[in-house]
Amino acid sequence: MEDAPANITPPAATAIATPQQLRFTGTGGSYFGIWIVNLLLTVVTLGIYSAWAKVRRLQYFYRHTELAQTGFDFHGSPKRILLGRIIAFIMLVVYNMSVRLHSIWTLVVIVALAAVLPWLLRNSLRFRLYNTSWRGTRFHFRGTVGGAYRVFLLNSFLSLITLYIMVPFAHQRLKAYQHDNSWFGQTRFSFHARAGQFYLLYLMLLAGFLAFGILFGMAGLFSLLKPLMLAQQHQGGPVDPKPILMAVGIIYGAVILMSVVIGPVFHALMTNLVWSNTRLGEHRIECHMSPLKLTWVTASNFVMVVVTCGLFIPWAMVRMTRLHVESITFIPASDLQEFSAAAPEDVGAVGAETANVFDFDIAL
Amino acid sequence: MLQASYFDGQSTRVHEVVLSLVDNDLVISGDNVNVRLPFDQVQVDERLGQASRRLRLPDGTFCEVRDLDQLDNLLQSAGHRDGWVDRLQRHLQLVLVSSVAFVLIVAAAYQWGLPAAAKIGARHLPPAVSETLTTQTLKILDGSFLKESQLPNERRTRLSAEFRSLRLPEGGTPTAPLLFRRSKQLGANAFTLPDGTIVLLDDLVTSIGDTEQIMAVLSHELGHAHGHHSLQLLLQSSAVGAFLTLYVGDISTLIAAAPAALVQAKYSQQLEQEADDYGASLLVKNGLSPVLLADALRKLLASHPKSSEGGYLASHPSTEARMRHLRALAAAAGR
Repeated sequence: MEDAPANITPPAATAIATPQQLRFTGTGGSYFGIWIVNLLLTVVTLGIYSAWAKVRRLQYFYRHTELAQTGFDFHGSPKRILLGRIIAFIMLVVYNMSVRLHSIWTLVVIVALAAVLPWLLRNSLRFRLYNTSWRGTRFHFRGTVGGAYRVFLLNSFLSLITLYIMVPFAHQRLKAYQHDNSWFGQTRFSFHARAGQFYLLYLMLLAGFLAFGILFGMAGLFSLLKPLMLAQQHQGGPVDPKPILMAVGIIYGAVILMSVVIGPVFHALMTNLVWSNTRLGEHRIECHMSPLKLTWVTASNFVMVVVTCGLFIPWAMVRMTRLHVESITFIPASDLQEFSAAAPEDVGAVGAETANVFDFDIAL
Repeated sequence: MLQASYFDGQSTRVHEVVLSLVDNDLVISGDNVNVRLPFDQVQVDERLGQASRRLRLPDGTFCEVRDLDQLDNLLQSAGHRDGWVDRLQRHLQLVLVSSVAFVLIVAAAYQWGLPAAAKIGARHLPPAVSETLTTQTLKILDGSFLKESQLPNERRTRLSAEFRSLRLPEGGTPTAPLLFRRSKQLGANAFTLPDGTIVLLDDLVTSIGDTEQIMAVLSHELGHAHGHHSLQLLLQSSAVGAFLTLYVGDISTLIAAAPAALVQAKYSQQLEQEADDYGASLLVKNGLSPVLLADALRKLLASHPKSSEGGYLASHPSTEARMRHLRALAAAAGR
């Protein structure tokens, strides 16, 4: 690439401003070796190696994600991730025991966890972004602790007492907190999606649930009614359990179908909304994930993972990552060369790991 | 000569450079970059799939190399050796060996390691834990499935007295409480709580009737208490759940939530046999025959023709095999 002359202003005159689609170059075959070897080491070391395995997994996926022919990178230290996992494990055990005990301690522990979680989640964002880089320049998260308590604790509480009417609003605030406070080097991200757009998507989700519920509810009901009516005709003979089992199967199937159809469609539309309304400085981002493709990948991954007893997992992860990564296009307003790095700061891994174990990890 | 991109860590500018090795020094040149340093100061990232590989310099700058095979040549002549995990990960035969080793280790851990570890863990948990668990479990059960026993008072007193006078194989008599309850849902049943408390349900007493046979069932329950089986099962199911989350949690929480209960069936079978063996030796010590337990099982089997309908045998698989085993124990003890 040409060296941009430093003495010429404005820099936009020499800009390369063609849209850049993100590329994912990983393959299931090459990831399988890494996955199985690290899984083996994790099992043999009773989980201790999982921190190293996690670093390697993130490095594999980050380095195979390319923008303008250069991969991203992950720099997190396994030892700090291990420390985070140990703390997270202790918290999980304390939580589980307190839930089983049903005493005043249950309440104390839950309140204490709720008080500490927003801080941990914010630290987890900081750790993840600080340890991500592109072309040697790191990302940063500069969200305040107060902001974290507002979006994670106050807004969740408000959603709860307004009977979930405020969930889309809370979700929009959360994304704004995440994206508005993210930086790449010295360039700040900004978030522009409005709460109204979140409400629209949630309404579609609700409509989808209702349609599915009615459809499968009726199918289940009919298959239940039939044997009951037959039994009545046969004057109190024993009810054949098969159709009832079938009805239970239909209901269970509906739950799975719902999570592999409605879930992915909603997720795709939400991802598109969030990322297409995110900017990095002057530069725009577009996200066009096909809901149909995501549904197909989710459903086929599910079937293949079950059929192969989990051996398909590396391929499933690669397929899912490729779909996500390649749906994003970066539209530069000026030359991609001009980003400059910011001074590094020290960020702990404790937050990142605790958030993972409690399954509150905020997916992008 | 090897093409690479050089990044100064200050901006995202790409410097197209050429790498070469001179007297075991790495030389980076081109595009306003001219660096020479001993190769042993360079940190080489491991090779992950087809991703370009990085050579990191001590000052925070780095080179990114796309041609992995040519880089391997350069690394080889510099005397660099990849880490063993790195080599393991991309050697096909070793990956296959690792896969087989993984399956074998998981199977062995499940078959022997986990029960043994859970047994040790259950024995060493502080008594306060099992007492609290028992109180809470009983509180929940009393509020839902369990009702007051309707057995006549003298029958209960008699059963309690017989139970208290049983001599344990390891010496002494039972100290944990024996509770009488009635339950429509649980039917003819008896179970042991984490601290050894035994709950005996009315339907089991009425459908077996014979006091010695009821003592045989209780001796089986004392076997569960002696082996801390309920704590052991609790620890085992937690461990299995943790493993499932680790294994498939990356891809789907739906699969990770797959019932760990499925995994429990085999374990409870092992524990039942352990409790039977303990019960049999307890009966022999008290001058009774292990066949009493087999007879009690037969009565329960008769009252529940299909063990899928619930009751004592639902949680006790392959009753026929257990009855055979008990008769063999009785024959061996000469009773």
